[in-house]
Amino acid sequence: MADLEFTLNGQQQTLSVDDGTPLLWVLRDHLAMTGTKFGCGMGLCGACTVHLDGSPIRSCSYPAEFVNGKAITTIEGLASSDENLHPVQQAWLEMNVPQCGYCQSGQIMSAVALLANNSAPNDAEIDAAMAGNICRCGTYPRIRKAIHRASELAVVQHYQPANTVKENV
Amino acid sequence: MTISRRSFIKGGAIFGGGLAIGFNLSGCAQTEYPHFSATDLQPNAYIQVSPSGQVILQLYKSEMGQGVYTGMATMAAEELNMDPSLIIVQHAEFYPDFRDPEFYVMITGGSSSIKYGYTILREAAATVAAMLKTAAAQYLSIAESALNLKDGKVVYAGGEVDFATLLPIARGLATPTEVTLKSPQDFQYIGRHRQRLDALGKVTGKSEFGIDVQYPGAMTAVLLRCPHFGGKVSSFDASNALKMSGVKSVFEVDGAVAVLAETYWQARQAAGVVSVVWDKGPLAGVSSESLRVERHGMLTSEAGKNVEEKGEASAATGELFEAVYDVPYLAHATMEPMNAVAVATKEGIEIWTGNQSPDIALSEIADATGFKREQIRIHNHMLGGGFGRRIMPDYLVEAARIAQLSGKPVRLVWSREDDMRGDFYRPNATVAMSAMIDQSAVTSLQAKIVAPSILGGFVQFVTNTLLPQWLPKGLHKKIGGMASGSDPAAAEGIAHSDYEFPYMRTDYVEQKTTIPLGYWRSVGHSQNGFFIESFIDELAHQTTQDPVAFRLAHMAKDSRRRQVLELAAAKANWGNPPQGQFQGVAVHESFSTVVAQVVNVSIADGKIKVHKVVCAVECGMVINSDIVVAQMEGGIVFALTAALKGEITIEDGAVQQSNFHDYEVLRINETPEIEVYRVDSANAPTGVGEPGVPPLAPALANAVFAATGQRLRKLPLRLA
Ligand code: FES
Ligand code: FES
Repeated sequence: MADLEFTLNGQQQTLSVDDGTPLLWVLRDHLAMTGTKFGCGMGLCGACTVHLDGSPIRSCSYPAEFVNGKAITTIEGLASSDENLHPVQQAWLEMNVPQCGYCQSGQIMSAVALLANNSAPNDAEIDAAMAGNICRCGTYPRIRKAIHRASELAVVQHYQPANTVKENV
Repeated sequence: MTISRRSFIKGGAIFGGGLAIGFNLSGCAQTEYPHFSATDLQPNAYIQVSPSGQVILQLYKSEMGQGVYTGMATMAAEELNMDPSLIIVQHAEFYPDFRDPEFYVMITGGSSSIKYGYTILREAAATVAAMLKTAAAQYLSIAESALNLKDGKVVYAGGEVDFATLLPIARGLATPTEVTLKSPQDFQYIGRHRQRLDALGKVTGKSEFGIDVQYPGAMTAVLLRCPHFGGKVSSFDASNALKMSGVKSVFEVDGAVAVLAETYWQARQAAGVVSVVWDKGPLAGVSSESLRVERHGMLTSEAGKNVEEKGEASAATGELFEAVYDVPYLAHATMEPMNAVAVATKEGIEIWTGNQSPDIALSEIADATGFKREQIRIHNHMLGGGFGRRIMPDYLVEAARIAQLSGKPVRLVWSREDDMRGDFYRPNATVAMSAMIDQSAVTSLQAKIVAPSILGGFVQFVTNTLLPQWLPKGLHKKIGGMASGSDPAAAEGIAHSDYEFPYMRTDYVEQKTTIPLGYWRSVGHSQNGFFIESFIDELAHQTTQDPVAFRLAHMAKDSRRRQVLELAAAKANWGNPPQGQFQGVAVHESFSTVVAQVVNVSIADGKIKVHKVVCAVECGMVINSDIVVAQMEGGIVFALTAALKGEITIEDGAVQQSNFHDYEVLRINETPEIEVYRVDSANAPTGVGEPGVPPLAPALANAVFAATGQRLRKLPLRLA
């Protein structure tokens, strides 16, 4: 068994899971945090994207024991409430990005990480950063537009995907 | 307007009235509703008002991204004069009224939801609105003409009264038999409302998909299925698996092996160490290549069935020009793998999942478990993609059987590999297109289609759902067999097109195979659009005419396609692509909607690069214009995957692909610029979920021809 201790969306988590359990299944099955999705299990689709100390990772292929002492942020941790959405979520709403919606948690987590490093990406930079996230419904044209819009909406006062939450550990 | 009998008549008839299925026709059957509430105003199955005054819509079509959640709420909101976002939308359980007028079962498919919902939902909402108005008139002692509905209240010159207050009176009123619908020029929300109502839940991770359903104490099940279609387990050894952490049991279920554990990861790890000996079954030795070769032989060896013949064969004069086209099997590859939660007790079975046809699933689960349909409940959720895959009930049946055999609540979760290999595939097909050309005049257009039939396998599900349960199971198969030789989907889009040539003929040869086939976004049109619109392009070039002009010259004068093609050509600056780029065009009608696309490509390093797709669509009156645009964009991306990448191959009766590395789908960096334009229309609305798909592959192949002179007649497109 692996003993885990990490922060999840700012809250301390302590639990034990089988050795080698990917973070995705710790989130979904042990913690019932279902916003993060299962799409391929092989790091190919990005549906399971979460942040580890601010960087996007594919949680389906990331052994949970490696997150010990680190800060994990999932889609549920982006906004304090539906009335106070993260600018990326706000932009996604304005552009009516989601269709089935299943890939969108992962898309949004990748987009937030991109904008944290590059506050005004061009289309080529967007494509490079988002190429790991599949959308079978084909919302890509809107994802591009929404990332530009989110960049306008200024990623300031909201959750910053940096190491700043680390001291909570 | 008198309420059309169609929308409130329960049940229907199959096969042109041969067998009528009667249901209770009385107006007071409300207690039968699965969503019956003793305290609500509930004059029909679609819309009810709760004691607190909330308007609740039963979403009787599945939301899989195509936008019915928003579209249907908007149509209902229109007649209730309320902002669509104020309506509470619930996923409906099966009820006979929710059966589709076209397909006779409760199903989401055929791009039919908005087309029929436009009348059904406005009538249902107008009925509720009329009752609330009458109640308000009584309550306030004011003439009805002085009252209006507004955002969940009845308003009048002197004030307002909310629905909650009116409910006791309204519940006592008789349901009106006639209601007046708003005329389109008075619409406030239809065609105006823009925001997707399901978007908030989808950007916050709160929307509940089938895979997210929590049931206390549920075990996770994974299933080891025979990789060879039609095969089954002959023996297995689970001794190592049973020693693993969290594993509860390993047992055989209907030819497969189920592994039950506390979590998905545990179940999947344990499944990996179960050793199974498979009986490969009847398709051992069959490959997609052997089937393709067989089809090519059938082009000459079989006469087939004539689907359409127009004009006199003697009018086809000149020289024969012929070309043979091929398309492969395709997987749906919805983002959310198949899954279902099932709980079985002595009394019945309850399922939580995302599915496109709970009606069919009820019958199939009943057959598999021995329960009656009435003892089974299916709760629907958001679908993480459908594209036709979730019409099939297989994964619900599996979950039900595992729950029944184990006696435990279970959550069955497919892996991506299970999903890729256990799909119901878009059939592969071969078509010989031919024409006679007489001194640069095309005198005939003929197609001979060789393809398996989806309907042959599917009809038994439908008859099993609609015909009395005491009929022997064999009969359903037999009806399926009767239907298969003349599957309309096999020829749709080629037969009955509105192209005009002196002689036109389409024949269909059915290739018999038991490889599982299914309805895949735009069905027969997905390949037939490619065949006909590529070949028309060939004819234009053969006769040295401009592809747009050639099409216009050969379509009916009043063709709906004309204006759409002209709009796409104009917006794409047809004939004047940017330096180094080449254009291709196609226009196709499917599911009563017309779409034209112009694709700009260039070729670099032997690779096709798609720069831009300009799309024009005519889908009648529009409920939500932004969703129309989104469906065109999504259809184009979906079709680009099929045109450039998609191919499922079969060896020894087993699918060779497994995940997104060997069944690649289009990614954002490969996605072209897409522009969508709409031809305004006052006609009744038609669907947009599928029609964006068919024109893309031919427009792209035609552009590749313009760029390279290579006529690619096989999908996915591969340059020589
Ligand atoms: S589920 Fe992790 S990348 Fe696909
Ligand atoms: S919205 Fe359906 S997969 Fe992206």
